[in-house]
Amino acid sequence: MQLELITLLGVKVSEPVYEVIIPTADGEIGVFPGHEPLISIATPGILAVRRQKIDDDDHLEYFAISGGVIEIAPKRARILVDEADAAPDIIEAESRAALEAAMQLRDQATNQVELEKASRLIDRHSIRLKVAELRRHHRR
Amino acid sequence: MPASIRTLRSRIRSVSSTKQITRAMQMVAASKMRRAEEADTASAPYVKAASEILSYLASQGETKDHPLFAKRPIKSRLIILVAADKGLAGAYNNNLLKRYVEELKKDDGKIKNDTITVGRRAAQFATRLKDTSVIAVYQDLPDRPAGNELRAILDTATNKFTSGEVDDVDLIYTAFNSTISQEVTMVHLLPAGFTETPVSEEVREAEYEPNAQEVLSSVVYRILGSQLFQALLDARASEYAMRMMAMKNATDNANELVDDLTLEMNKARQGAITQELAEISGGVEAMK
Repeated sequence: MQLELITLLGVKVSEPVYEVIIPTADGEIGVFPGHEPLISIATPGILAVRRQKIDDDDHLEYFAISGGVIEIAPKRARILVDEADAAPDIIEAESRAALEAAMQLRDQATNQVELEKASRLIDRHSIRLKVAELRRHHRR
Repeated sequence: MPASIRTLRSRIRSVSSTKQITRAMQMVAASKMRRAEEADTASAPYVKAASEILSYLASQGETKDHPLFAKRPIKSRLIILVAADKGLAGAYNNNLLKRYVEELKKDDGKIKNDTITVGRRAAQFATRLKDTSVIAVYQDLPDRPAGNELRAILDTATNKFTSGEVDDVDLIYTAFNSTISQEVTMVHLLPAGFTETPVSEEVREAEYEPNAQEVLSSVVYRILGSQLFQALLDARASEYAMRMMAMKNATDNANELVDDLTLEMNKARQGAITQELAEISGGVEAMK
Protein backbone atom coordinates (compact mmCIF):
# COMPACT_ATOMS: atom_id res chain seq x y z
CA MET A 1 0.00 0.00 0.00
CA GLN A 2 1.39 3.35 -0.98
CA LEU A 3 1.35 5.90 1.83
CA GLU A 4 1.35 9.54 0.82
CA LEU A 5 1.65 12.03 3.63
CA ILE A 6 1.21 15.44 2.07
CA THR A 7 1.58 18.75 3.88
CA LEU A 8 1.60 22.36 2.78
CA LEU A 9 5.37 22.27 3.04
CA GLY A 10 5.63 19.38 0.62
CA VAL A 11 5.34 15.62 0.44
CA LYS A 12 6.64 14.14 3.71
CA VAL A 13 6.28 10.45 2.93
CA SER A 14 5.62 8.64 -0.31
CA GLU A 15 6.49 4.98 -0.01
CA PRO A 16 4.99 1.53 0.37
CA VAL A 17 3.92 0.54 3.89
CA TYR A 18 1.98 -2.32 5.49
CA GLU A 19 -0.24 -0.48 7.94
CA VAL A 20 -1.15 3.08 8.85
CA ILE A 21 -2.92 4.02 12.07
CA ILE A 22 -4.72 7.33 11.69
CA PRO A 23 -6.43 9.43 14.38
CA THR A 24 -9.97 10.37 13.28
CA ALA A 25 -12.99 11.90 14.94
CA ASP A 26 -14.37 8.39 15.61
CA GLY A 27 -11.15 7.13 17.15
CA GLU A 28 -8.08 5.59 15.63
CA ILE A 29 -8.44 3.57 12.48
CA GLY A 30 -5.88 1.05 11.26
CA VAL A 31 -5.62 0.87 7.50
CA PHE A 32 -4.23 -2.19 5.75
CA PRO A 33 -3.77 -2.89 2.04
CA GLY A 34 -7.08 -3.60 0.31
CA HIS A 35 -9.11 -1.22 2.50
CA GLU A 36 -12.44 -0.05 1.12
CA PRO A 37 -12.26 3.39 -0.52
CA LEU A 38 -12.92 5.93 2.21
CA ILE A 39 -12.65 9.67 2.58
CA SER A 40 -12.66 10.96 6.12
CA ILE A 41 -11.29 13.58 8.46
CA ALA A 42 -8.11 13.22 10.47
CA THR A 43 -7.95 14.93 13.84
CA PRO A 44 -4.76 16.33 15.38
CA GLY A 45 -2.89 13.40 16.92
CA ILE A 46 -0.35 10.69 16.38
CA LEU A 47 -0.04 8.90 13.08
CA ALA A 48 1.70 5.52 13.27
CA VAL A 49 3.20 3.67 10.34
CA ARG A 50 4.16 0.00 10.16
CA ARG A 51 6.46 -0.46 7.21
CA GLN A 52 6.52 -4.25 7.03
CA LYS A 53 4.21 -6.99 8.21
CA ILE A 54 6.89 -8.51 10.43
CA ASP A 55 7.59 -5.23 12.26
CA ASP A 56 6.40 -5.32 15.86
CA ASP A 57 4.99 -2.36 17.77
CA ASP A 58 8.47 -1.24 18.77
CA HIS A 59 9.25 -0.56 15.16
CA LEU A 60 6.33 1.72 14.41
CA GLU A 61 7.19 5.11 13.00
CA TYR A 62 5.37 8.04 14.50
CA PHE A 63 4.33 11.41 13.12
CA ALA A 64 2.73 14.29 14.97
CA ILE A 65 0.00 15.56 12.66
CA SER A 66 -2.46 18.42 12.70
CA GLY A 67 -5.97 17.92 11.39
CA GLY A 68 -6.62 17.12 7.76
CA VAL A 69 -8.31 14.94 5.21
CA ILE A 70 -7.61 11.27 4.52
CA GLU A 71 -8.33 9.51 1.29
CA ILE A 72 -8.01 5.75 1.28
CA ALA A 73 -8.10 3.41 -1.67
CA PRO A 74 -7.20 -0.31 -1.78
CA LYS A 75 -3.68 0.45 -2.88
CA ARG A 76 -3.18 3.93 -1.54
CA ALA A 77 -3.56 6.00 1.59
CA ARG A 78 -3.35 9.70 0.97
CA ILE A 79 -3.24 11.94 4.02
CA LEU A 80 -3.52 15.69 3.62
CA VAL A 81 -2.57 17.61 6.74
CA ASP A 82 -1.42 21.13 7.48
CA GLU A 83 1.60 19.95 9.40
CA ALA A 84 3.31 16.62 9.99
CA ASP A 85 6.52 16.08 11.90
CA ALA A 86 8.41 12.80 11.99
CA ALA A 87 9.52 11.68 15.45
CA PRO A 88 13.27 12.09 14.77
CA ASP A 89 12.65 15.72 13.76
CA ILE A 90 11.10 16.60 17.09
CA ILE A 91 13.36 17.64 19.92
CA GLU A 92 11.76 16.60 23.17
CA ALA A 93 13.19 19.33 25.34
CA GLU A 94 12.10 22.00 22.88
CA SER A 95 8.57 20.65 22.72
CA ARG A 96 8.35 20.52 26.49
CA ALA A 97 9.52 24.12 26.77
CA ALA A 98 7.07 25.19 24.07
CA LEU A 99 4.25 23.38 25.83
CA GLU A 100 5.04 25.11 29.11
CA ALA A 101 5.21 28.48 27.37
CA ALA A 102 1.83 27.79 25.76
CA MET A 103 0.32 26.86 29.13
CA GLN A 104 1.59 30.09 30.58
CA LEU A 105 0.07 31.92 27.66
CA ARG A 106 -3.25 30.25 28.42
CA ASP A 107 -3.12 31.25 32.08
CA GLN A 108 -2.38 34.85 31.16
CA ALA A 109 -4.91 35.06 28.36
CA THR A 110 -7.25 37.99 28.80
CA ASN A 111 -9.65 37.38 25.93
CA GLN A 112 -11.20 34.61 23.91
CA VAL A 113 -8.86 35.03 20.94
CA GLU A 114 -5.73 34.64 23.05
CA LEU A 115 -7.26 31.70 24.86
CA GLU A 116 -8.06 29.92 21.62
CA LYS A 117 -4.60 30.57 20.28
CA ALA A 118 -3.03 29.23 23.45
CA SER A 119 -5.12 26.08 23.54
CA ARG A 120 -4.28 25.39 19.92
CA LEU A 121 -0.61 25.71 20.77
CA ILE A 122 -1.05 23.43 23.77
CA ASP A 123 -2.71 20.76 21.62
CA ARG A 124 0.01 21.00 19.03
CA HIS A 125 2.91 20.79 21.42
CA SER A 126 1.46 18.06 23.62
CA ILE A 127 1.06 15.87 20.54
CA ARG A 128 4.62 16.58 19.51
CA LEU A 129 5.83 15.82 23.01
CA LYS A 130 3.93 12.52 23.07
CA VAL A 131 5.50 11.51 19.76
CA ALA A 132 8.96 12.33 21.07
CA GLU A 133 8.33 10.31 24.24
CA LEU A 134 7.02 7.34 22.26
CA ARG A 135 10.18 7.32 20.24
CA ARG A 136 12.34 7.44 23.34
CA HIS A 137 10.50 4.52 24.96
CA HIS A 138 10.74 2.34 21.91
CA ARG A 139 14.40 2.96 21.42
CA ARG A 140 15.23 1.49 24.79
CA MET B 1 46.65 68.09 -0.64
CA PRO B 2 43.93 70.54 -1.70
CA ALA B 3 40.58 70.32 0.06
CA SER B 4 38.61 69.22 -3.03
CA ILE B 5 40.70 66.07 -3.45
CA ARG B 6 40.25 65.21 0.18
CA THR B 7 36.46 65.63 0.04
CA LEU B 8 36.30 63.60 -3.15
CA ARG B 9 38.31 60.83 -1.54
CA SER B 10 36.07 60.67 1.49
CA ARG B 11 32.98 60.64 -0.73
CA ILE B 12 34.39 57.72 -2.70
CA ARG B 13 34.99 55.89 0.54
CA SER B 14 31.46 56.45 1.79
CA VAL B 15 29.88 55.46 -1.53
CA SER B 16 31.98 52.27 -1.56
CA SER B 17 30.82 51.27 1.89
CA THR B 18 27.20 51.91 0.90
CA LYS B 19 27.85 49.71 -2.10
CA GLN B 20 29.01 46.91 0.14
CA ILE B 21 25.80 47.09 2.13
CA THR B 22 23.52 47.13 -0.91
CA ARG B 23 25.47 44.23 -2.39
CA ALA B 24 25.06 42.20 0.75
CA MET B 25 21.32 42.99 0.84
CA GLN B 26 21.06 41.95 -2.79
CA MET B 27 22.60 38.58 -2.06
CA VAL B 28 20.51 37.98 1.05
CA ALA B 29 17.35 38.81 -0.90
CA ALA B 30 18.37 36.46 -3.70
CA SER B 31 18.82 33.48 -1.42
CA LYS B 32 15.63 34.20 0.52
CA MET B 33 13.74 34.54 -2.73
CA ARG B 34 14.90 31.12 -3.86
CA ARG B 35 13.77 29.57 -0.61
CA ALA B 36 10.34 31.17 -0.78
CA GLU B 37 10.01 30.01 -4.36
CA GLU B 38 10.87 26.44 -3.40
CA ALA B 39 8.35 26.41 -0.58
CA ASP B 40 5.77 27.75 -2.99
CA THR B 41 6.18 24.84 -5.40
CA ALA B 42 6.30 22.32 -2.53
CA SER B 43 2.65 22.99 -1.65
CA ALA B 44 1.41 22.07 -5.14
CA PRO B 45 0.72 18.34 -4.45
CA TYR B 46 -1.39 19.29 -1.44
CA VAL B 47 -3.51 21.69 -3.45
CA LYS B 48 -3.94 19.16 -6.25
CA ALA B 49 -5.10 16.38 -3.95
CA ALA B 50 -7.51 18.65 -2.07
CA SER B 51 -8.92 20.09 -5.31
CA GLU B 52 -9.63 16.59 -6.57
CA ILE B 53 -11.80 15.73 -3.58
CA LEU B 54 -13.52 19.10 -3.69
CA SER B 55 -14.19 18.76 -7.41
CA TYR B 56 -15.90 15.44 -6.83
CA LEU B 57 -18.01 16.71 -3.94
CA ALA B 58 -19.05 19.71 -6.03
CA SER B 59 -20.08 17.44 -8.89
CA GLN B 60 -22.29 15.56 -6.41
CA GLY B 61 -24.05 18.82 -5.53
CA GLU B 62 -22.71 18.83 -1.98
CA THR B 63 -21.48 22.40 -2.23
CA LYS B 64 -24.90 23.92 -2.87
CA ASP B 65 -25.98 24.24 0.73
CA HIS B 66 -22.61 24.71 2.33
CA PRO B 67 -22.27 28.03 4.22
CA LEU B 68 -18.86 28.85 2.74
CA PHE B 69 -20.28 28.59 -0.77
CA ALA B 70 -23.26 30.86 -0.08
CA LYS B 71 -23.58 33.64 -2.67
CA ARG B 72 -25.27 36.74 -1.27
CA PRO B 73 -25.70 40.25 -2.62
CA ILE B 74 -22.54 42.06 -1.58
CA LYS B 75 -23.20 44.66 1.10
CA SER B 76 -19.91 44.42 2.90
CA ARG B 77 -16.59 43.14 1.86
CA LEU B 78 -13.39 42.00 3.50
CA ILE B 79 -10.01 42.52 1.88
CA ILE B 80 -6.91 40.72 3.05
CA LEU B 81 -3.97 42.89 2.06
CA VAL B 82 -0.53 41.29 1.99
CA ALA B 83 2.37 43.76 1.92
CA ALA B 84 5.91 43.82 3.28
CA ASP B 85 7.18 44.62 6.75
CA LYS B 86 10.04 46.66 5.37
CA GLY B 87 10.70 49.03 2.52
CA LEU B 88 13.73 49.12 0.24
CA ALA B 89 12.00 46.83 -2.22
CA GLY B 90 11.48 49.14 -5.17
CA ALA B 91 7.84 49.71 -6.04
CA TYR B 92 6.64 46.57 -4.21
CA ASN B 93 4.57 48.27 -1.52
CA ASN B 94 3.47 51.19 -3.69
CA ASN B 95 2.07 49.02 -6.47
CA LEU B 96 0.17 46.96 -3.97
CA LEU B 97 -1.29 49.89 -2.07
CA LYS B 98 -2.29 51.59 -5.31
CA ARG B 99 -4.29 48.55 -6.35
CA TYR B 100 -5.83 48.35 -2.91
CA VAL B 101 -7.02 51.95 -3.05
CA GLU B 102 -8.48 51.31 -6.51
CA GLU B 103 -10.43 48.38 -5.11
CA LEU B 104 -11.72 50.46 -2.21
CA LYS B 105 -12.83 53.28 -4.54
CA LYS B 106 -14.55 50.96 -7.01
CA ASP B 107 -17.85 50.74 -5.18
CA ASP B 108 -18.26 54.52 -4.59
CA GLY B 109 -18.76 54.01 -0.87
CA LYS B 110 -21.87 51.88 -1.25
CA ILE B 111 -20.22 48.84 0.22
CA LYS B 112 -18.78 48.63 3.69
CA ASN B 113 -15.12 47.65 3.53
CA ASP B 114 -13.14 45.80 6.17
CA THR B 115 -9.46 45.00 5.94
CA ILE B 116 -7.08 42.49 7.42
CA THR B 117 -3.51 43.60 6.91
CA VAL B 118 -0.41 41.45 6.72
CA GLY B 119 2.88 43.32 6.94
CA ARG B 120 3.73 46.56 8.71
CA ARG B 121 3.53 48.72 5.58
CA ALA B 122 -0.02 47.58 4.89
CA ALA B 123 -1.09 48.35 8.45
CA GLN B 124 0.51 51.80 8.44
CA PHE B 125 -1.29 52.65 5.24
CA ALA B 126 -4.71 51.12 5.79
CA THR B 127 -5.24 52.45 9.30
CA ARG B 128 -5.05 56.00 7.91
CA LEU B 129 -7.81 55.49 5.35
CA LYS B 130 -11.38 56.61 5.90
CA ASP B 131 -12.90 54.13 3.44
CA THR B 132 -12.14 51.04 5.44
CA SER B 133 -11.84 49.75 8.96
CA VAL B 134 -8.91 47.54 9.84
CA ILE B 135 -10.12 44.57 11.84
CA ALA B 136 -6.88 42.65 12.27
CA VAL B 137 -3.18 43.34 11.84
CA TYR B 138 -0.49 40.73 11.33
CA GLN B 139 3.16 41.68 11.35
CA ASP B 140 6.55 40.01 11.21
CA LEU B 141 5.26 36.71 9.89
CA PRO B 142 8.06 34.19 9.37
CA ASP B 143 9.20 33.39 5.83
CA ARG B 144 7.39 30.09 6.09
CA PRO B 145 4.15 30.90 7.87
CA ALA B 146 3.15 27.95 10.05
CA GLY B 147 -0.34 26.58 10.59
CA ASN B 148 -1.03 28.84 13.55
CA GLU B 149 -0.70 32.22 11.86
CA LEU B 150 -2.44 30.91 8.80
CA ARG B 151 -5.36 29.58 10.78
CA ALA B 152 -5.76 32.78 12.74
CA ILE B 153 -6.20 34.81 9.53
CA LEU B 154 -8.37 32.17 7.92
CA ASP B 155 -10.63 31.73 10.95
CA THR B 156 -11.29 35.45 11.16
CA ALA B 157 -12.27 35.51 7.49
CA THR B 158 -14.45 32.39 7.54
CA ASN B 159 -16.18 33.37 10.79
CA LYS B 160 -17.01 36.82 9.43
CA PHE B 161 -18.34 35.23 6.28
CA THR B 162 -20.47 32.50 7.84
CA SER B 163 -21.92 34.90 10.40
CA GLY B 164 -23.01 37.14 7.52
CA GLU B 165 -20.95 40.14 8.62
CA VAL B 166 -19.21 40.17 5.25
CA ASP B 167 -20.52 38.82 1.95
CA ASP B 168 -17.28 38.62 0.04
CA VAL B 169 -13.63 38.03 0.90
CA ASP B 170 -10.78 38.94 -1.43
CA LEU B 171 -7.06 38.66 -1.14
CA ILE B 172 -4.66 41.22 -2.64
CA TYR B 173 -1.03 40.19 -2.94
CA THR B 174 1.86 40.23 -5.40
CA ALA B 175 2.05 37.11 -7.54
CA PHE B 176 5.49 35.79 -8.32
CA ASN B 177 5.88 34.88 -12.01
CA SER B 178 9.64 34.94 -12.23
CA THR B 179 12.62 36.77 -10.86
CA ILE B 180 11.97 39.70 -13.18
CA SER B 181 8.20 39.67 -13.32
CA GLN B 182 5.77 40.05 -10.42
CA GLU B 183 2.31 41.48 -10.56
CA VAL B 184 -0.26 42.63 -8.06
CA THR B 185 -3.12 40.15 -8.10
CA MET B 186 -6.50 39.89 -6.48
CA VAL B 187 -7.82 36.44 -5.62
CA HIS B 188 -11.39 35.76 -4.70
CA LEU B 189 -11.49 33.70 -1.50
CA LEU B 190 -15.11 33.59 -0.35
CA PRO B 191 -17.76 32.58 -1.27
CA ALA B 192 -15.63 29.59 -2.14
CA GLY B 193 -15.37 28.30 -5.65
CA PHE B 194 -13.54 25.35 -7.07
CA THR B 195 -11.47 24.54 -10.11
CA GLU B 196 -12.49 21.53 -12.17
CA THR B 197 -9.96 18.82 -11.47
CA PRO B 198 -9.97 15.34 -12.99
CA VAL B 199 -11.34 12.93 -10.39
CA SER B 200 -9.77 9.51 -9.97
CA GLU B 201 -11.73 6.26 -9.67
CA GLU B 202 -10.80 5.89 -6.00
CA VAL B 203 -12.24 9.23 -5.02
CA ARG B 204 -15.45 8.57 -6.91
CA GLU B 205 -16.15 5.22 -5.26
CA ALA B 206 -15.19 6.21 -1.75
CA GLU B 207 -17.40 6.26 1.28
CA TYR B 208 -17.51 9.50 3.22
CA GLU B 209 -17.13 9.44 6.98
CA PRO B 210 -18.73 10.87 9.08
CA ASN B 211 -20.58 12.34 6.07
CA ALA B 212 -19.94 14.22 2.85
CA GLN B 213 -20.83 17.62 4.34
CA GLU B 214 -18.25 17.39 7.10
CA VAL B 215 -15.59 16.15 4.76
CA LEU B 216 -16.48 19.04 2.48
CA SER B 217 -16.04 21.55 5.32
CA SER B 218 -12.65 20.16 6.11
CA VAL B 219 -11.56 20.11 2.46
CA VAL B 220 -12.77 23.65 1.74
CA TYR B 221 -11.02 24.91 4.82
CA ARG B 222 -7.80 23.25 3.66
CA ILE B 223 -8.12 24.66 0.16
CA LEU B 224 -8.69 28.17 1.47
CA GLY B 225 -5.71 27.68 3.76
CA SER B 226 -3.52 26.59 0.89
CA GLN B 227 -4.65 29.58 -1.21
CA LEU B 228 -3.71 31.89 1.61
CA PHE B 229 -0.46 30.04 2.22
CA GLN B 230 0.54 30.24 -1.42
CA ALA B 231 -0.37 33.92 -1.54
CA LEU B 232 1.81 34.63 1.49
CA LEU B 233 4.71 32.73 -0.03
CA ASP B 234 4.24 34.37 -3.41
CA ALA B 235 4.19 37.74 -1.73
CA ARG B 236 7.42 36.94 0.07
CA ALA B 237 9.12 35.66 -3.08
CA SER B 238 8.03 38.80 -4.96
CA GLU B 239 9.17 41.06 -2.18
CA TYR B 240 12.61 39.49 -2.16
CA ALA B 241 12.81 39.53 -5.94
CA MET B 242 11.98 43.23 -6.03
CA ARG B 243 14.33 43.97 -3.18
CA MET B 244 17.04 42.10 -5.02
CA MET B 245 16.46 44.19 -8.15
CA ALA B 246 16.32 47.42 -6.17
CA MET B 247 19.56 46.57 -4.41
CA LYS B 248 21.18 45.53 -7.67
CA ASN B 249 20.29 48.91 -9.15
CA ALA B 250 21.63 50.63 -6.07
CA THR B 251 24.89 48.69 -6.33
CA ASP B 252 25.19 49.54 -10.03
CA ASN B 253 24.54 53.20 -9.30
CA ALA B 254 27.14 53.18 -6.58
CA ASN B 255 29.64 51.65 -8.99
CA GLU B 256 28.96 54.38 -11.54
CA LEU B 257 29.24 57.05 -8.90
CA VAL B 258 32.56 55.69 -7.68
CA ASP B 259 33.85 55.72 -11.27
CA ASP B 260 32.69 59.30 -11.81
CA LEU B 261 34.14 60.46 -8.54
CA THR B 262 37.43 58.72 -9.18
CA LEU B 263 37.66 60.42 -12.56
CA GLU B 264 36.88 63.75 -10.99
CA MET B 265 39.43 63.17 -8.27
CA ASN B 266 42.13 62.24 -10.76
CA LYS B 267 41.33 65.35 -12.78
CA ALA B 268 41.58 67.49 -9.69
CA ARG B 269 44.87 65.88 -8.71
CA GLN B 270 46.24 66.34 -12.21
CA GLY B 271 45.06 69.95 -12.16
CA ALA B 272 46.80 70.56 -8.86
CA ILE B 273 50.07 69.09 -10.15
CA THR B 274 49.87 71.13 -13.35
CA GLN B 275 49.21 74.25 -11.36
CA GLU B 276 52.11 73.59 -9.03
CA LEU B 277 54.43 73.06 -12.00
CA ALA B 278 53.20 76.24 -13.62
CA GLU B 279 53.85 78.13 -10.40
CA ILE B 280 57.40 76.76 -10.12
CA SER B 281 58.29 77.48 -13.75
CA GLY B 282 56.61 80.89 -13.38
CA GLY B 283 58.85 81.57 -10.34
CA VAL B 284 61.96 80.48 -12.23
CA GLU B 285 61.01 82.78 -15.14
CA ALA B 286 60.54 85.70 -12.72
CA MET B 287 63.95 85.22 -11.14
CA LYS B 288 65.73 85.42 -14.48
